[in-house]
Amino acid sequence: MAALSSTKPDDHQILVEEKLSARILTLNRPKQLNALLFQMISRLLELFIAYEEDSNVKLVIVKGKGRAFCAGGDVAAAIRDINEGTWRLGAKFYWKQFTLNYILATYRKPQVSILNGVVMGGGAGASIHGRFRVATENSVFAMPETALGLFPDVGASYFLSRLPGFFGEYLGLTGTRLDGAEMLVCGLATHFVPSERLSLLEEALCKVDSSDPAIISAVINEYSKQPYIKEKSAYHRLNVIDRCFSRRTVEEIISALERVALNKKDDWISKTIQSLKRASPTSLKISLRSIRQGRLQGVGQCLVREYRIACHVMQGKLSKDLFEGFRAILLDKDKNPKWEPSKLELVSDDMVDSYFSMMDDEDWEDLKLPARSNLPAYAIAKL
Amino acid sequence: MEQQITRRTQVLTNHLLLHGEPTSLSAAPPLSSNSCLNYSPPELNEPLSFNPTDMRVYLDSHNIPDRDWLFGLITQSRLFNPKQRGHKVFFSPDYNQSMEQQREMTMKRVLYLLEKGVFQGWLTERNPDAELRKFALLEVVGIFDHSLAIKLGVHFFLWGGAIQFFGTKRHHDKWLRDTENYVVKGCFAMTELGHGSNVRGIETVTTYDSNTGEFVINTPCESAQKYWIGGAANHATHTIVFSQLNINGENQGVHALIAQIRDADGNVCPNIRIADCGHKIGLNGVDNGQIWFDNVRIPRENLLNSVADVSPDGQYLSAIKDPDQRFAAFLAPLTSGRITISASAIYTSKIGLAIAIRYSLTRRAFSVAPNGREVLLLDYPSHQRRLLPLLAKTYAMSFAGNYLKQIYVKRTPESNKLIHVLSSAFKATFTWHNMRNLQECREACGGQGLKTENLVGHLKGEYDVQSTFEGDNNVLMQQVSKALLAVYIAAKKSNKPFKGFGLEHMNNPCPVIPSQLTSSTLRCSKFQTDAFFLRERDLLNRFAAEVSQFQAQGESKEYAFILSYQLAEDLGRAYSERELLQTFIQTEATVPAGSLKNVLALLRSMYALICLEEDAAFLRYGYLSMDNAAAVRKEVTKLCSDLRPHALALVTSFGIPDAFLSPIAFNWIDANAWASV
Repeated sequence: MAALSSTKPDDHQILVEEKLSARILTLNRPKQLNALLFQMISRLLELFIAYEEDSNVKLVIVKGKGRAFCAGGDVAAAIRDINEGTWRLGAKFYWKQFTLNYILATYRKPQVSILNGVVMGGGAGASIHGRFRVATENSVFAMPETALGLFPDVGASYFLSRLPGFFGEYLGLTGTRLDGAEMLVCGLATHFVPSERLSLLEEALCKVDSSDPAIISAVINEYSKQPYIKEKSAYHRLNVIDRCFSRRTVEEIISALERVALNKKDDWISKTIQSLKRASPTSLKISLRSIRQGRLQGVGQCLVREYRIACHVMQGKLSKDLFEGFRAILLDKDKNPKWEPSKLELVSDDMVDSYFSMMDDEDWEDLKLPARSNLPAYAIAKL
Repeated sequence: MEQQITRRTQVLTNHLLLHGEPTSLSAAPPLSSNSCLNYSPPELNEPLSFNPTDMRVYLDSHNIPDRDWLFGLITQSRLFNPKQRGHKVFFSPDYNQSMEQQREMTMKRVLYLLEKGVFQGWLTERNPDAELRKFALLEVVGIFDHSLAIKLGVHFFLWGGAIQFFGTKRHHDKWLRDTENYVVKGCFAMTELGHGSNVRGIETVTTYDSNTGEFVINTPCESAQKYWIGGAANHATHTIVFSQLNINGENQGVHALIAQIRDADGNVCPNIRIADCGHKIGLNGVDNGQIWFDNVRIPRENLLNSVADVSPDGQYLSAIKDPDQRFAAFLAPLTSGRITISASAIYTSKIGLAIAIRYSLTRRAFSVAPNGREVLLLDYPSHQRRLLPLLAKTYAMSFAGNYLKQIYVKRTPESNKLIHVLSSAFKATFTWHNMRNLQECREACGGQGLKTENLVGHLKGEYDVQSTFEGDNNVLMQQVSKALLAVYIAAKKSNKPFKGFGLEHMNNPCPVIPSQLTSSTLRCSKFQTDAFFLRERDLLNRFAAEVSQFQAQGESKEYAFILSYQLAEDLGRAYSERELLQTFIQTEATVPAGSLKNVLALLRSMYALICLEEDAAFLRYGYLSMDNAAAVRKEVTKLCSDLRPHALALVTSFGIPDAFLSPIAFNWIDANAWASV
């Protein structure tokens, strides 16, 4: 999320380089970990749409300046907007961002994202939908929304749900961080390239002069290596994750984890349970349902649904957890949010239903995604 | 003509050329480089006038997140036979496996779902919410595979249901949890070789031995062998046995008992003989078997004794003295079976329609003008006329099915009779519709409908059984008419108003159909309801008159019914369709004004008018004049073109995930391309 009005437009927030038939877009707000502002998203959208039509462009590279790829939308700015004005400004932001996510997910030309640092929330939305995602030893991926009173958006209900087994539920509910090796093995990344080779890779990509995914993949492969998956990685726990995170409800997921914990003491399990207990109960229930619906839907439908939920969350009529999460994690930093409702069992199915229904507001409408005619089959299914 | 041939040749040549260049798929897409057919996803060309997820709420009506959860459990497991076709993956059993393999896979899938907690509370929780969840999950299973749903249905609804309904606390404590966890695998031995729908005539006999405190179950002759018993051939360890109970030489009628037929290792128990019913036209994932009981001894406690018991010293005890009532009490669990069959017929119709309509929105055939673009199948009025009325019926049945489930889960002793009649009528109507719908959908897909992977053709075999199991459709419909006649006779005898089964409209003045039917009249729910009332009213009067006329000629009441079968059938249909129309109107009333409600009104009119057109009774008995009938027919055509723009959204609203449809519903060129096959 981010501000619409607070920061003055700055053309330098997205750097554009033209290298033969490649275009390199660099997110350039390094101090804010390249968090996305409304005008950055608008600019990306313009550029991507123009490149798709431009026959001189065959490949788009996206990367971040400094130690992050992109830490997400600019939450601080966004919350200020919602508090000062109305949630509609936030809705406008989401509309634009989800439209960008959709264009990337159905993009006809290959996008290569260099994920050399933090990739969270909106940063994942700007990269994971693209054809190639290059992780490095510096990559840190997370969808941490449930701890903030939000839910995994930017099309995460599409890409998380398509990970192996029930790993997506695990990542989306707990906000667990993954490193580059883990991103590769679960499919969030398509390649792993050590950061010291990135400039060579970039150079090589600029010379490819082709949109053929097979050729581009082969080029990236030349710089890739097979990373080592750390021993404590959650990916080694896929069995337990599948057993527990496949349960029907959040409550059942937690009790399944607790049953496992009873049998043997295990730091990973207790950490997992803790992160679920710290998260907003409403967020957990919305997120689980959203990911599960997403598993059965196309990326467009996922974004339309997420837009509905996002509008309800920002409007704050159903729950104010978003603002509480912002206060506790980012403003007061007491890390002690008082969620309301405070317990899972107090969040009824009907309450969750409301987030998935239309807004009761005359001027509101469902997200309308741009028509994408004549899409080739490969543009629709990248994950 | 010659131009057409030239064009066809050109198209074919282009196809062949494309095959010569396999790299063209991965390079920058050739957008308009040749005149080859391009698949264009219907979503890109068909604007949505409403959000299908909102419509789905009215169709699925309950437990939508639970349904999605189960769809997801299936798509996350290799056990459910994922098959990549082009860029999409589909989940459907491998029907090319042998019967033995299919049965093995069905059982493995049952155990996977068990491990995931799908069946939690199916027998141990008894409240409306738990029951609705169970229905919803079973419906999803049925969307994947009928065999899997039937395998579960037999175990939970028939075996488990019999223990719940006929058993008492001792049976509940002993069996329900173990059933839910598959510690025991149950089956349900009611049907015999010689007796199906006529359960009262079964020949299996049980006697009581007071010396040992045991019942002795026996198959006295070949026609008494239990037949079609789902689960019996391979997996079941226990069965409910329906049998005549003979105590001290007196036959007390049909009773239900529990008998073990296999041990925990799967060996058949002594004095039990089991044979395999063999390969069938469908449902080969279910192991139907034949069972013979050779004086099998079971403990006295195994009599399911909620309606009647036998004391240790061999006295027959029952609170219900009337054997007819006792028998009716025994048939209670079959009601839930009919409800799940009705629902499953609707969901299968939805699969057929979603596939056929999606295909018709992407497949073209013949051009109207020479060299013009070929026309989309669904842009042919004739194609609309084939599929869209079936779509409207399927919507009507969805709403009616939801209503039936609601009254079932909130059932009271007073509502049992209504549930019995309604579930009989709907089971027959929906399953007949399902078969007809699948046949039309399969033809609408042309040759592609023949491929098993495209489902629409294959499902006919899988679902054919629905029209005869859990009550033969014709017999069920006769029972419906009998029940209506009973209300009629009761009202006439006591000179009181009609009450029950929605027949209250008989107390009002006879509706009058206007001689001139305008489009707006035809689309008005008042007119539609009046026409349905008029038909039902008249058919009931005629049926009553004919039965009493036969009786006056000296025929018995029973035989008079048999002779009046034509009116009985017509009346059953009239009742069923009137209930459907009314539940449609009720559902419509709960929808806020807007585009969704408008589309529902179109569907409701289509439903009503197609019934008026298809039932010859309207003309035969003059409820509609010939002019009226012509106006109806014309309006149906108009409704077809009014519904055409919504066709995609209407099938998307079914909420069936892409992975549970079939390749022709999506990019069938990609799915059949050289690179994919």
